[in-house]
This record gives sequence, C-alpha cells and structure tokens, in this order.
Amino acid sequence: MLFNSLTFVVFFVVVVTAYWSIHSWTARKNLLVTASYIFYGAWNPPFAALLFSTTAMDFWLGRQIAKAKGSSRRAWLVASVCMNLSMLGFFKYGNFLLENFQWLLARIGIIYHPPHLDILLPVGISFYTFHSLSYTLDIYRGVLQPTRSLRDFILAVSFFPQLVAGPIVRAGDFLPQLVRPPALRIGQFMWGLLLMTLGLFEKIVLADTMLAGSADRIFGYAGPLVALDSWLGVIAFGSQIFFDFAGYSTCAIGAALCLGFHLKDNFRFPYAAIGFSDFWRRWHISLSTFLRDYLYIPLGGNRVGWTRAAINLVIVMFLGGLWHGAAWTFVVWGLLHGFYLVIEHASRALVGEQAWTDNFAVKLLLGFVTYGAVCLAWVFFRASDFTIATRMLRGMFGGYPHGDAILATREILQIGIVTFFMMLAHWSLRETNVETAVTRLPRWVVTAAWALMACAIILTQGSSNAFIYFQF
Amino acid sequence: MPSSTSNFKRILRLPRLFFRTPTEAESVHGGPPLEFERPIPQIPWRGMTVVVVLVVIGAALAWEFYCRSIGYGPTLNDNEDLWTITRQRVRPESVVIIGDSRGWFDLDLDELQKGLGIRPVQLAMGGGCGYPVLADLADDKTFHGTIICSFVPRLFFAPPGTPPMERGEKAVRRSHTQTPAQQASQYIAMPLEERVAPRLPPYFGTLDRERRARMIEQCARPGSELQKRIQQIWLPLFTPPPPPSYVPKDVFMAKMKDAIETRFRDTVRAVEKLRARGGKIVFVRLPVSGGLKALEDQTTPRKQTWDPLLQGTRAPGIYFEDFPELASFNCPEWSHLSAGDSVEFSKRLVPHLRAALGM
Repeated sequence: MLFNSLTFVVFFVVVVTAYWSIHSWTARKNLLVTASYIFYGAWNPPFAALLFSTTAMDFWLGRQIAKAKGSSRRAWLVASVCMNLSMLGFFKYGNFLLENFQWLLARIGIIYHPPHLDILLPVGISFYTFHSLSYTLDIYRGVLQPTRSLRDFILAVSFFPQLVAGPIVRAGDFLPQLVRPPALRIGQFMWGLLLMTLGLFEKIVLADTMLAGSADRIFGYAGPLVALDSWLGVIAFGSQIFFDFAGYSTCAIGAALCLGFHLKDNFRFPYAAIGFSDFWRRWHISLSTFLRDYLYIPLGGNRVGWTRAAINLVIVMFLGGLWHGAAWTFVVWGLLHGFYLVIEHASRALVGEQAWTDNFAVKLLLGFVTYGAVCLAWVFFRASDFTIATRMLRGMFGGYPHGDAILATREILQIGIVTFFMMLAHWSLRETNVETAVTRLPRWVVTAAWALMACAIILTQGSSNAFIYFQF
Repeated sequence: MPSSTSNFKRILRLPRLFFRTPTEAESVHGGPPLEFERPIPQIPWRGMTVVVVLVVIGAALAWEFYCRSIGYGPTLNDNEDLWTITRQRVRPESVVIIGDSRGWFDLDLDELQKGLGIRPVQLAMGGGCGYPVLADLADDKTFHGTIICSFVPRLFFAPPGTPPMERGEKAVRRSHTQTPAQQASQYIAMPLEERVAPRLPPYFGTLDRERRARMIEQCARPGSELQKRIQQIWLPLFTPPPPPSYVPKDVFMAKMKDAIETRFRDTVRAVEKLRARGGKIVFVRLPVSGGLKALEDQTTPRKQTWDPLLQGTRAPGIYFEDFPELASFNCPEWSHLSAGDSVEFSKRLVPHLRAALGM
C-alpha cells in the first residue's frame, strides 16, 4: 500500500479512528499488528508470512542470546545475523551473485549458464530485516533486554508507517513506547497530519510532478548531451530522490505521531551539509547510524590507526552501497562516498581546526563542493549501467560540446526553481529543524502553506508512483 | 536528540516524558530510557485546521466549477489498473477488442453485443500499441476466443521503447503483477472520478467502467474550437520523428526497418499461436479523416502496412475505405468518430465482422 494512494487514505482513516476509539491498550496493539500485516499483505499476501517468520525467529533468538553465556551468546547472534542476511541475500542478491559467479568462471574459461532465479523481491525486505536485526544485535551488545511479548516485537518490526521504506527504527527505540498507551493529544495529532501533508507534497508534487520527468528523460537519453542538460538531469535527480525519500520518511513520522508514536528524524537538511561526515549525519540518518553502530564501530571505528579507520570507512560505505541495490553501480556509489569520507578525514588530519574555516563564505563554499560531489555520486546511483554513467559524466564535464540539448525551458525553470528553494530551505534550517521553524513562523504563513500543499496534492492527482526506496 | 533540544525546552511545551528515566513497568523491555519524544509545535492547531479544511474544500469546489464551466466533466482515468480489472473479465470464449483509441471510441459495445451475441471486452488503449496485448492473449493458454484488433500502422509498428509500446507493455505487466492494494485503489477511485475529478487537458471524451470511450458533444460539434485544437494535436503525434542526431540516418533507418520486420514476424507468430488453440483474429482499419488521413496515407501507406499484415498473418481484415457504408463517416477531430456515429458505425460493421470471422 502506497502512502500516496487512495487505499492508504481509507486504510489510515479506518485504523486511526478505530485505534483512538478503543480503550484497551492490548486491543489497540493487536489492531496495529493486524493493520500492519494488512498494509504489508496488500502488496503480496504470501510475503506477510515471510515477514512473520523472520520476526518470530529473531524473537526466539533474542531470548536465546539473553539466556546464553560465553561463546554460545555469540553463536546465537551469528545464527540471527546469518538468518537475516541469508534471507536478504537470497531475495535481493541471488541473481546478482549468480551472474557475477558466471562472469568470474568465464574469465577462467569455464562456460557456465546458471538458471535465472525468478525471484520476486519482497517489498521493504532491506528495511524490516534491519528493524529485526537491531533487536538481536542490541541484546547481544547488552543495551536491550529481550521483550516478553511476541506481539510487541511483531509490532516493533512491522509497524506500518516505517515498515517498507524506513526510517529504520530500532527495536530498542520502539519497544519502550509499547509499555504505556499514548494519550491522544490534539497538537501532536495535527502536527502528524501536517507532516503527512508535507511528505506527500514532497513526493507527489515536487518529486513526481516537477522533477521525475526531466531526470528520467536525461538518464534515458541514448545520445550525447551538452553539459548544461547533463548537470540539470543530475541535479533534478538529486532533488527528486531527496523529496521522494524524505517525503516518505516525513509521512511515516507523521503517521506514527497520529497514532501516538515517536520516530526519529531520518533527514536533516542534507544538501546544506558541510563535508561528507556531515552529509551522512543528515541523509538517511537511520541507515548511517545503523551502519555506524553495528558495523563501523565493531570494526574498530576510528579508535584504530588512520589507515585501518580509512579501510573501515570504505568497507562500510561499500556495504551501504550494496544495501541499496544488487548492482555494481550502487557499489561504485557507495565506494565514492567512502572515498569522499577518507579524503575528508585526511584533510582534517592535515589542516586541523583552523579559525578561517569558521567563516560563512568558506562554509558555503565547502557546502557547495559537498553538494557537487554528492551529485556526482548520484550519477552512479541513478544510471542503470556504467555506459549511461560514463556518458553522463562525460557530458557533465564538457565531453560533448556539440551534444544535444533536450530539456525545454519550462523543464529547466522547474528544476532550477525547485532546487533553488530546496537549497534555500536547507541552508536556512541547517542549524535548526522544522518544528522550530513552524513555531517561529507567523500562523497565517503556516496555515497558508498547509492549505497550499494540500490543494497542490489534490490538483496534481498523483499517479501513485512507487517511492524510489521501495526497490531497496 | 539534536543539540537544539534545549531551545525546544524554552520554545515548546515539552511532553511529560521528555527526559525522565524509565519506570519499573517500562523496564520490561529493559531498553534505553524514553529519552526521545518529538517536539510538537505549540500553535493554535484547532483554528488552523479548520481554516485549512475550509480553504481546501473551497479550492476543490472552485476548481470543479471552473473545469465544468470550460466544458470539462468527470470521466475515469485510463490507467493500468482499470485495464487490468477489464483484462480479468476475459473468459476463454470472449470477444476482445485490442489496439488503439480508435477501437475505444468507434466500437460500441452494445451494438457489437447485439450483432455478435456476446459482449466484447474492451482492451484497446489510448495511444497504445496493440501488439503486447495480442502477444499476451496469444500466450494465455486458457484463451481461445476472438480478437478484434484496431490497426493504426504508426502505433502497431511502434518500436520497443517508444511510448505506444511501453503503454501496452506496462498494462500487460500490471495485469500479471497487480497487488490487492492497487486493485482496491482503483475501486475506490472510480466512484470519485465518475463524480468529481475532472481530467486535465486534453479532454474530449469520457471513459466508463467497461473502458468504452465516447466523444463529448463539444468536440463533435462542427467547427468547434476544441475540435480544431484536438486536430492539431494529432499531426505532430503522427508525423515520423527525425532520426536522433547521434545516430547516422542510414543506421537509424535500418534499425527502424528491422524493428518493423521483427514486429511483423512476432505478430504472425502470435496469430498462429492463437489460431492453433482455435482462437480467431480480425484486423480492423477504422475511419480517419481530414489532414490526419492524408498524413497517414502518405507516411504509412496501405500497401506497405495493411496488405503485408494480412498476407503474413493470413487473418481477415476490414478496411473502412473498402466499404461505402463504412467509408461515409467523418471523424470530427480527424481520428475518432463521435459518440452517435460510433453506434451507427458499429451496427454497420457487425455484418462484416460476422463474415470475416465466419460466424
């Protein structure tokens, strides 16, 4: 079920009404579990069984980890990690691994034709696997006790606002919220609705209507493009993916608030980041902190030597890239970000904290360098193969001075205006957040913006395009 | 929490649980303390919400009135989900209409039902290529009914990757992968679209739940502004695009020729597959008028498109110009018949269909 679909509107109204009408907290939680499984099963009912089985296994493994002593604790954790990652590996990377195995064999002269596995990727598997995995990892780390309630754990993993495209909510952040029933607060409820409006506006109006067409046309064009069109295509995609994914996260946070639950921010104005560490503190925060806590730090983090820390960064970003999709283009995207982070760490080590870097103009410059490098990496994220990526990069750096210019003036204006206002908003709010901004803005501005966003959503009549992150 | 938490403490009324340690009951999960709750802006929510709801209702009503004042009306959106729901109505013996929008506008289901004794299922698509649907029906082992295929050469022979082909492929793909949520959304959307959702331009026809399209009166009226506007839409759409600058012209032309030959071969294969199961197909060239007819005759002449298609597939065909009673119709906007004419046209078409299909 997509947030930007009529089915979800009806579903949400029914669930919210029933949820707040029921007095019993147990019954409310049961309702949320049922609703979450309907939400998920509405894509493909059999996959709900897969979701349940991984959840039930992790619930049981969590208890085993807590009970076990010594090396068997580690063995139970390994079982949980293997179970989750093999599930992810089979559904998401099965064909990718086979194809690469075939390629490798061909290099040494062995011709092997593996059967193409007709595997349907369960929607959101990358997200709910991480929701579930965080539980056993945290129990092993000793920061979480296993819950006694299977129902509560099922809800923590499958809570429908976050289930299929994040944010990646750790069981440790969600389970404590299931202890006591939240009270219905009108401000919280309305703020949730406003966030949902904002998220849908970002997705339907900005990402789908204003930007997706231009980005698709540029990346789908088979010929050489002039530098302006190439850059505009990449910039359009950079803005599109932000509005698409941040829009989903904002909707998820809003929907959870309407039900009395609190999810953390997943985006914090990332295009105003100064440097790449800062970018990853602002972009897909739930994934970057997951990788930091469960991968980077266990690998030694930055407590080890400089070289080892750099290797750790690259490994983390390599896997982060692969998490996004079973393709080498995603790996290159991840490695590029790993490379950026290494360069940044090296620069910091060389230059240190200089007073001149605290200057606004320097920050702005560094911010734009960061944005430019992030856009460069988006080329690999969006291109479906390296031929397209190479052509795009060549176009961006003036490789086709007599290439084609295919964007109409209207499209150029759309990309320019939307991206300009997005950057303005990110830089204005980079030290604060939406809540503060809304509190400080005149009431009529907030009211008008809310109404305008709602009207724009209705009038553009979104065509229910799936969110980009669903495929991950 | 971000470092701005302390600012929030001053600006906002913080929820009660903000910084406290967990109670005994909460340590059932033994998790970290409930140190995170989202701050909620403290603004007059009730008043603002009322204003927003009133403004949105007012704006939606104003838009509806505006659209109706310029001649727009409610109609279903033709999307993959509506197509899929219609595709699910196909039974082994069904009569199915496939092809392009001329099959939509020009063929009246009631008249065809009267004449053929079975109500056809409308699977034609606006601006769509009929081949993906033909291939899908040919691959459907349960289907051994009859296909009426509307044939517009530029659309039927559209190469892979072009919008007409993609439209057909997307619809077929959706029919194999439609989720319960997508189906539910379509059923929820239809009553709304039938009442309050005017389409964005160009609006010149309405579509019902059986996907029968009817031209609106304003477009059928001789010499109307809308009619002239729609006529001008067809010409660029049906004009062959220039070869892309990055491909030499001869290479491009060879590629196009190859794509068309491949489509011929694939069509023949699909028809044979269908016929082997006892299925039937009849190709129909529906009326076209004015400047668009001249353009189609010039760029996709009958001898190079229609004739080889019938020869290759050994299928019967009905070309409107071959029969005076079918050739006498005029398409108001050059490409489709008016709603009234489509009924009469279908009535006259029935005997030809019966003869072609040996009924």
